Amino acid sequence: MADDRKTILDQLGASLSQLTERTPYPQFAADAATPDTLRGRGPVLFAERLTKANTVVVDTPQALGDFLARRDAKIGYCDPELASSLRPWLGADVELDLEFDRERVNEYAFGITRATSGVIETGSLILTDRDTSNRLGALAPWIHIACLDPAALHLTLADAITGLGDDPNVVFVTGHSQTADVEGILIQGVHGPGEQVCLLYDLALPEGPGDPDQ
Amino acid sequence: MQTPERDPIQGRKVQLMISCLCDAFFDDAARATVEVLRQAGCQVTVPSGQTCCGQAAYTAGDWEACRQVMRHTAKVFPGPVPVVVASGSCAAALFHEAPIAFAGEPDLPVIQDLSRRTWELTDFLTNALGVDRWPGSVAARAVIHHGCHTRGTATRDAVRALCESIDGLEILDFPDADQCCGFGGIFSVSHPYMSTEMGRKKVADVLSVEPDIVISADMSCLMHQQGIAGRLGNEYRIQHIAQVMRDASMGRAV
Amino acid sequence: MKRQALDVFASGLAPEVRDAIMAGTTRVLEKRQTTLAEDYADPDSLRLLAGQVRQHALDHLDRYLPLAESRLRDNGVQVHFARSTGRALDIITGLVHASGTRVVTKSKSMASEELDLARRLADVGVEALETDLGEFVIQLDDDHPSHIVAPIIHKTRRDVAASFARHGLGDYDDDPEVITRRARRYMRKKFLEAKVTITGANFISAESGRVAIVTNEGNARFGLAGADVHIVLAGIEKVVARDRDLPLLLSLLVRSATGQRISSYVEFVSGPRSAKQPSGPREMHVVFLDSNRSKIVGGEMRQILRCIRCGACMNTCPVYRQSSGHAYRGVYPGPVGSVLGPLLKDDENFAELSDLARASTLCGACGDVCPVNIPLPDLIARVRVRSHREGTVHGKQGVPPMWSYSLLARHPMLWRLAMRLGQVLNWLPLQHLPLSAARAWSGSRTLPRWRGGRFRRWIRSRPRDQDG
Repeated sequence: MADDRKTILDQLGASLSQLTERTPYPQFAADAATPDTLRGRGPVLFAERLTKANTVVVDTPQALGDFLARRDAKIGYCDPELASSLRPWLGADVELDLEFDRERVNEYAFGITRATSGVIETGSLILTDRDTSNRLGALAPWIHIACLDPAALHLTLADAITGLGDDPNVVFVTGHSQTADVEGILIQGVHGPGEQVCLLYDLALPEGPGDPDQ
Repeated sequence: MQTPERDPIQGRKVQLMISCLCDAFFDDAARATVEVLRQAGCQVTVPSGQTCCGQAAYTAGDWEACRQVMRHTAKVFPGPVPVVVASGSCAAALFHEAPIAFAGEPDLPVIQDLSRRTWELTDFLTNALGVDRWPGSVAARAVIHHGCHTRGTATRDAVRALCESIDGLEILDFPDADQCCGFGGIFSVSHPYMSTEMGRKKVADVLSVEPDIVISADMSCLMHQQGIAGRLGNEYRIQHIAQVMRDASMGRAV
Repeated sequence: MKRQALDVFASGLAPEVRDAIMAGTTRVLEKRQTTLAEDYADPDSLRLLAGQVRQHALDHLDRYLPLAESRLRDNGVQVHFARSTGRALDIITGLVHASGTRVVTKSKSMASEELDLARRLADVGVEALETDLGEFVIQLDDDHPSHIVAPIIHKTRRDVAASFARHGLGDYDDDPEVITRRARRYMRKKFLEAKVTITGANFISAESGRVAIVTNEGNARFGLAGADVHIVLAGIEKVVARDRDLPLLLSLLVRSATGQRISSYVEFVSGPRSAKQPSGPREMHVVFLDSNRSKIVGGEMRQILRCIRCGACMNTCPVYRQSSGHAYRGVYPGPVGSVLGPLLKDDENFAELSDLARASTLCGACGDVCPVNIPLPDLIARVRVRSHREGTVHGKQGVPPMWSYSLLARHPMLWRLAMRLGQVLNWLPLQHLPLSAARAWSGSRTLPRWRGGRFRRWIRSRPRDQDG
């Protein structure tokens, strides 16, 4: 295998030395591809963008409780660090599992985990490994509720990507899972959540390592 | 592709390249081109040594043959007099494809010089001579077919502007106007099934708006479309933009 | 002369398949157009910029590839190099065997098609399950994808329902929602069972060693979350110079591919799971595939490596749209495939796919939509030059030889004579001439009357217009 590496790099060097000129790195703003109509700031705008991006926005734990009651969602996974703040607002008949049990993957109607930040340009939620108590809790149940502090927002995709830090698994989530593979007809909910929810509310939790500047 | 930078013209002398298809089939389109240029105040010469622009060999991938033909063309149309071409695809062959085929050749500068003085007819009228209105009138409903080699060039706007300036000429939009008609030179005989399917779709799209005439800066595409329509028993009246302009103004000065 | 293979294929294509492809491509083209027009006053300037960004990375790949490798290693990723598809297969098979698992989940990856990975793993007793819905259907049917973004663009819901029924996924039901729910139920068992997951990479950053994976379905996320080992297979050209290139490229990729502004999931993976994360791979590998890319990068068709696999070129290509992806025979269909295909495998296989570049009118529609400004028509012409030079059989069929044309065109007297003699075509039945070009034309088209010589006579009768 070390042979392959050397072969490839040697060949690359030989090939590129044939070029009479090599394209320089162009000058451009990192947000050159941010549409002007999608610039803007503030949690209110972010909430609108979330909604446009097929994300249900609930702005208090009470509203979350009501939402789950309306969905008749009785069993779910919850980040243990969030459970105490949210428990009082959920119906008494709602069962929270604080550890994701793979055997129960089809029983969980919802999963509640933390989002690290959001992107106003696209209405995206950013999930990181360090702030997500269990990846499966965020992606397997039909409903995913991402809890996000409204102060933790990036303005643009460019800001968010260039400020990624060193978390090994950062996911930009924009709305629910979907496919148009069958005749181009858009179907909601394939392998990921069929409903994406955001609890846009400061649960006043201790700050994690991945929080971006606002 | 874009229309490249051309040398500013000096005076009104031009050399006309009529294109091999007009030479073989569409003599009236070539005549109309001469007349239109003269109406616009040009002194037109038509070098008798002209044959073909060489595009067929370019698209065939035989660039040696392509260069041979293009060298002949450069000889027959010497500088500094601008070359006006009655075909968007021939013009593109000379200003876009020729420099590519001659990359690394010792006579590349000759070809580059030719490119810098080659103009498609309507591009020349509009952008070199500043003609923005064409006199006269034609009472007709028409569609404009833009040959694919005019994609991104000044020809498309020029054809449209000139047509719209002619009284009585109603320009109709039609579906999928941007899609290739399937001629593609050699493609029409190397891939006859697909060429025909694309041509049939084009003809159907055009006829769906019931035009009286189909106008283009390229007789090549029109020949293919008319051929398809003819075999299907449909009437399909084709006109080179120069013929429309000549008919409209009937020789009146611009 | 035999007919060109793509033309034969197109003429035999079932009308329902052609209709499905027309409908699918039209839909996406419209969405792309609408989104770009809404979002950008000058979308072309962004295409040009993205093209330069990509070309810069390619022109300096001798620096960026080792940089990416080093950053990946710093992040705890094991990096492998494969000079050929065969070597990549060996490496991946070795990793799968080492993991002890017999079930592997796989996300969509065109590079893996170059390896025919799923089939080759099946040959050694490993179930490599395609998790993207379209690819899953392809796998059930033992078929091949016909489009790089929409693999089953050539199938209807009835086709898919029939496949599902045949494979025990429930009674026949062609409701797309039912189909999707069945796939969801079936796949999640597998995501949790499979200890290894294999993905492609949309981009790999040389600056941060991050692998960007774009999906709408969430299959890559689930595959990763359920597995212990993550294997990324990527062509070496996937390396981008800097993280700041990613917002530009991602914004254009998604708009070009589906007309969305961003896909449901964009995952940036830079290493195995973090220490406290209970789900996700403990081990991560990146396999860099060369397969001739290291040669292409210095050659006259090097811009083709800019491709970010959006599919816009094939959506817009009138030849693709009436012949379908399978007509292109290789891994990559459409305009990009007609250049990349012959170049990739190795020079010996150039001949086999050299006819793909003939199946084009050089209309330029592809070049106009490419988000990284690849001069596709020019590259297609270059492939033709090479196939002419090498005298490839496939490339030659149906293409009239140019020597006689060149001879006539360089000798005006001969040309003018031919113009006059051409009259004879007005009386000869074209269909019966021993000239395949004449037969090919007249099979479906009339020819105008030959009038060669008339214009030149007219000009000669007007002395002041002759050449001086």
